[in-house]
Amino acid sequence: MKALGIVFRKEMREILRDRRTLMAIGLAALATPTVLIVISQVSTKTATQTYTVGYAGEIPVGLDTLLSATGLKLESVTDPAEAAKHQVDVGVVFQPTQIDEYYDPTRQGAQVADTRLQTVLGQYNAAKAAAALQQKGIDPGLLNPVPVKVHPLSSPTQAAGNAFLSFFLPYILITMVLTGGLSAALDSSAGERERKTLESLLLTPTPRSRILLGKILSVTLISLIAAIAAIGSMLLALTQVSLVGGTHIYLSPLAAVVMVWLAVLLAGSFSSLTLALGTLAKNFRQGQAYSTPLYFITIFPASIILFIPDFNPSLAYYLIPILNAVLVLRDAIVHNSVAWPALAVTSVSLVATGLFCWFAALRLFTREALLVRS
Amino acid sequence: MSPAAVKVDRLEKTLGKNKVLRGISLQANSGEIFGLLGPNGAGKTTTLRIICTLLAPDAGSVEVLGFDTRSAPEDVRRRVGVVTADIGVYPRLSARENITYFAELSGVLDGEVNQRVDAVLNRLDMASFANQRAESLSSGQKQKVAIARAIVHDPAVLMFDEPTSNLDVLASREIRNFMVESRGRGKCVIFSTHVLHDAERLCDRVTILHEGSVVATGPTADVRGAHRELEDAFLELVEK
Repeated sequence: MKALGIVFRKEMREILRDRRTLMAIGLAALATPTVLIVISQVSTKTATQTYTVGYAGEIPVGLDTLLSATGLKLESVTDPAEAAKHQVDVGVVFQPTQIDEYYDPTRQGAQVADTRLQTVLGQYNAAKAAAALQQKGIDPGLLNPVPVKVHPLSSPTQAAGNAFLSFFLPYILITMVLTGGLSAALDSSAGERERKTLESLLLTPTPRSRILLGKILSVTLISLIAAIAAIGSMLLALTQVSLVGGTHIYLSPLAAVVMVWLAVLLAGSFSSLTLALGTLAKNFRQGQAYSTPLYFITIFPASIILFIPDFNPSLAYYLIPILNAVLVLRDAIVHNSVAWPALAVTSVSLVATGLFCWFAALRLFTREALLVRS
Repeated sequence: MSPAAVKVDRLEKTLGKNKVLRGISLQANSGEIFGLLGPNGAGKTTTLRIICTLLAPDAGSVEVLGFDTRSAPEDVRRRVGVVTADIGVYPRLSARENITYFAELSGVLDGEVNQRVDAVLNRLDMASFANQRAESLSSGQKQKVAIARAIVHDPAVLMFDEPTSNLDVLASREIRNFMVESRGRGKCVIFSTHVLHDAERLCDRVTILHEGSVVATGPTADVRGAHRELEDAFLELVEK
């Protein structure tokens, strides 16, 4: 085990002197908060922005006040349908018995304006109907025969924040665990061949399995540092910004523990995998080419949460590496609880994946072709 | 006669579809410089790689100081130091750190590592650049780092595989001087080269390989025979 420590120390020393790796970690730590601040500003701007309603006809009494209060500005136009294509966000024709609305769903501003307009009109219609009934001496409550009283079991704003985190956190965790240690892994494997230090290293009496394990441990550690730096800076940024509706987001201690555990498992597997790929390559650049498909393979499971937010898989799905980590982390964030069988299956699956990658890396690292091709 | 440090017996090796070694046998002794000569592709590097356990033989056997390369590869590696033409060093480590790393991996005891590293730094006159990062060193300085890491564990067998092919005249001379000095210390020095002029000057005994087979072996003077230079004997042998 002493040899393992020697290799680990040397690899860490080299990694920490490698500008590529340090820049990757630094950029990740800066990029995530920057993206969050931009998202926050865009969402705030969208929520507070005033949209224009181009209209023709006579505005129903009181509606203009409601529209104005909801951030919809009225502007008289001759042809609302034509104006809704470019000039205004929504076009409306007020007729005595109905209102015609024109909007282009391909325009994001038109979609927001439409939603606001529908809400205002719904409230206006309800108020008008209630006033008419009251004038005739009929209880307006008749319009709402079964009133619904909602009792949220958790904070809706917190739930919105959790939903946001449940997408971003697995995504950042997986991409950072992969990319944070990639440069170090390739430098430590393909780089050895490219610099022609591999032969000298393999000439030492240290068993190759320990040399490889020392390398894997150092890459794992640097991957974890990269992931934690990115996630830490993101959580720090979240304390300073708020999303729509003033939602502040925080990560529960349980989710944080689950995240770190998954990060360790993922980092171990990815380190072995990238080292194995690096061992196949003759130089750093070739190693990068071999590793490129990994980005797509790893990001795909994280995207499932975006496209199928209510995906509730059976336990067998937790055998699929990466997807299982995404699902466990999502559950821990959204529900603030852990399904222990799912976590157990996930842990076994990721440990098995790590071991498989480790054996593959060791096999590649000890084959003669490694030196002959050098 | 000095004891045999390296014994190679009927060695065979195929790489891909190419039969590189066809049953070669040789013996190198302690306290001598043994030349392994031959044109490019003759099998010199493959032979050295088998001796130092980087490759496994298909047939035949190799013993280094009584240790079989198949059954005791780690014991063999502990007793061998190899210097090649590829002077690859870790660029972000200093010369001293490079050497220390190999000393530790080669099993030098904790308390002796610094002492051993200082000793080789002095021996190879490296003190002036010992703490410089390897990426800023000249080729000659890097070659010294490569030698230092190969000898820091004080191996009994030293193998030089075309060590001067990438070096200028001054650095080449230092390598040659080092080989002579190592012989004086009782080491077994195996010198693989196609520069016959160097071999003739340095080697006590030589083996000439051609297309994976031994075509001549013996004391350098005997192999040269009646020819004026070793090169003439070599050309006659390989052009037969």
